[in-house]
Amino acid sequence: MDSPAISIRNLTRRFGSFTAVDNITLDVAPGQFFGFLGPNGAGKSTTIKMLTGLLAPTSGHIEILGLDFATDPLDVKRQIGVVPEGLALFGRLTASEYLRFVGRMYGLDRDTTNSRTDELLDFMNLANEPKKLVTDFSHGMQKKLALAAAVIHGPRILFLDEPFEGVDAIAAGTLKAMLQRMTERGATIFLTSHVLEIVERLCSHVAIIHQGRLVANGSLDELRAGVAASELVRAGGSLTGPQPEEKLTLEELFLRIVGGAGAGTPDEALQELSWLA
Amino acid sequence: MAGVAPPSPQKSIHGGLFSPLARGQYAALVRVQTRMFVNSLRTKRGSFELGAHILVFLIFSLIACGPAFGLGFGAWVAVTHGRILGISVLLWVLFLAWQFFAALAPALGGQNPELSHLLRYPVSFGSWIVLYLVYGLAAPSTLIGIIWATAIGIGISIARPDLFLWTACTLALFIFFNLLLARMILAWIERWLAQRRTREIVTAIFLFLALAAQVFNPAYRQNPYSRPLSHVQSKTANRVASRFMEAQKVFPPGLVINSINLRAQHRPLQASEDFLWLGVYTFGAGALLALRLRSESRGENLSDAPRRSTTALRKVRRRPALDFSGPLFSGPIAAVFEKDLRYLMRSGPMLYNLAAPLVMVFLFGGMARGGQFSGVRSRYALPIGMVWAFFGLARLICNNLGMEGDGIQFYFLSPTPMRTVVLSKNALHFVLFLLEIALISAVVVFRFGLPSPSMATDTLAWLIFAVPANFAVGNLLSITMPYRINMTRIRRETGALGNGLTSLITQLGLVAVGALVLVPCALMGHSLLAAPVFLALAAISLFVYWRVLGNVNRMVQSRQESLTLEIMKTT
Repeated sequence: MDSPAISIRNLTRRFGSFTAVDNITLDVAPGQFFGFLGPNGAGKSTTIKMLTGLLAPTSGHIEILGLDFATDPLDVKRQIGVVPEGLALFGRLTASEYLRFVGRMYGLDRDTTNSRTDELLDFMNLANEPKKLVTDFSHGMQKKLALAAAVIHGPRILFLDEPFEGVDAIAAGTLKAMLQRMTERGATIFLTSHVLEIVERLCSHVAIIHQGRLVANGSLDELRAGVAASELVRAGGSLTGPQPEEKLTLEELFLRIVGGAGAGTPDEALQELSWLA
Repeated sequence: MAGVAPPSPQKSIHGGLFSPLARGQYAALVRVQTRMFVNSLRTKRGSFELGAHILVFLIFSLIACGPAFGLGFGAWVAVTHGRILGISVLLWVLFLAWQFFAALAPALGGQNPELSHLLRYPVSFGSWIVLYLVYGLAAPSTLIGIIWATAIGIGISIARPDLFLWTACTLALFIFFNLLLARMILAWIERWLAQRRTREIVTAIFLFLALAAQVFNPAYRQNPYSRPLSHVQSKTANRVASRFMEAQKVFPPGLVINSINLRAQHRPLQASEDFLWLGVYTFGAGALLALRLRSESRGENLSDAPRRSTTALRKVRRRPALDFSGPLFSGPIAAVFEKDLRYLMRSGPMLYNLAAPLVMVFLFGGMARGGQFSGVRSRYALPIGMVWAFFGLARLICNNLGMEGDGIQFYFLSPTPMRTVVLSKNALHFVLFLLEIALISAVVVFRFGLPSPSMATDTLAWLIFAVPANFAVGNLLSITMPYRINMTRIRRETGALGNGLTSLITQLGLVAVGALVLVPCALMGHSLLAAPVFLALAAISLFVYWRVLGNVNRMVQSRQESLTLEIMKTT
């Protein structure tokens, strides 16, 4: 493998006595479309915040494109684009003003910023309301704008925290096409999402974090093989569930790995909410 | 149908102002506020805020108590001398001070609570209004107004104990009227400032009133001390005064005292009539407030968003009107400068906060002329005016990241160092400061004539010392005690008081240093001696500013999480 685009070694983050991310070690190869999954509260957003400089790790080491985040944070930030959880938008600018602002903050010259702004607004279908302030955009429009801002400087790595949440099907299609083209041209995409169908369709590699620990990492086929092998061991050699050749979906894999059905079936849980209409 | 819950019994109790549902909601809000208060004390910042609240409460109580004695004594004297109607002057003072303070010091007032987060719950409109009024009761203007009205009531009641009950009722209604009026005025100003066109109209009215005050003041104060009024002038003045006294009877302060006077004359029916008219005024203020709040309770969004129009749908390629990039500014510095300037120009409340001290200078600049110490005041008008300029910008300088909201995260993601961002903000605030001091200097020259060369030199030297010192402290406070500024509402934000108080102490400290240097030099007759002292101090303050700026990256990095949390906080 080439030297990894993202290299994480023993990454840990604690909040008081609570360990949100526990000793994660992970490599993401250049050009990979990498899905980073986990149930709510597993530590996905904390990890992505540490990888993008929004949160300092308690311990561990992060290298992005061979640059040490601890010693070269600004050089790293020049190479990456981020759509964070809170979108990081300036609500009282128009979309065009915001993109021009972002471009210049990344050191682009005025002409490049202006032409890229126009192209991105057209591509994202945001050019129709030039006077509208970002704060008055719908959530989906804000997501598209945040993505446009994340790519305006042509990053080599893109970190996306739930990019498809609240985006309509047409816009999601546009975004997916753009992201796929970026990976084809060598960019690396690190994505977290709860929409597992999209992750399954887009990502070549997936890692799953659960209770702060990395519990799975590899291509989808590698994950399937891993789940099948562990179930084989647990069943004492005779599998009753789906066989490896049956190809589990990512959702099924995810539920088996993080034990989503461990707390009882949804029907059982709903019996306790009998008052609900 | 199986599985479907029966109709909720809550529907039958929904609605009334004091229905079980409403009472439950009030109780829940009290509980949640109490919990939030207790939880806030877990942090040092929260404890500091509580201390600041207590201190400000004590300061305003003291400010209120001095005039309260005067008002109470005045009321007592008026009643014992059989001139109850003369108390109307005191009530006018109370009325104007209350409304003026509430309108011009909204940042201290906490007048307009943000209640939009309650919209998702079944809160009736009546409850909405009650909450709106109750939330702002602790505003200093309300506190001062109530103390003053109580003092007047005590003065009247001591002189005529038989009037106690009627006075208490009438003054209570008057207090309620003032409370509603102040909230109503601010709610409508906030609405008008929210959109560009109405904002421009309000600004024009503001400027017109300020200029009118400038014209009115010299006309009113034409050497009143040096030239006694002639007999004819005196008669004219008396006639005007008596006409004014007659006319003011139909306004709330006049109605209050007229009602008490009629009750004192044992004419309860006529007294009740004036009381009822006061009630009509109160109802009117309440109705106008309700009209405004009705829109808010229906989810109105105070924003600059233009209506969707066919012209807006056309794709427009527009280059930004503001562009400061060039040899003077690097790309990121110009970008932040432009962005912040746009933010300010689009925020009515921010412009209002910037303009309010200027209006004060316009108004009080006129009033300060003449009188026993007019010479001293004229001499120090320029430095005093400069101090006001600092007050106008203190909120921005000492919380320079507060406007960013969710965008604060962007600075941590971008490759631009925070030092550059802060430097850019300092540059914008410096430009605004220059604009303010230019305007204030113009007012000072217009009102008091040209300052002496020595005073102008000393003031300039003091500014060279005070500006970097202010920015150094401002940068420190912006990083250590930040709070989110609401760009669409006029109100005191959570966490603002501690920051505001510290910034006020800084301003007062700088003024004290200025006075300690300037006054002795002036008394010795060597005013120009102050300038080199200020310049020596300026070298120190510039060094401190440079050191603080140099440490911004490190300080922000160590406080990144708390800074992000505070600036992104929505409630």
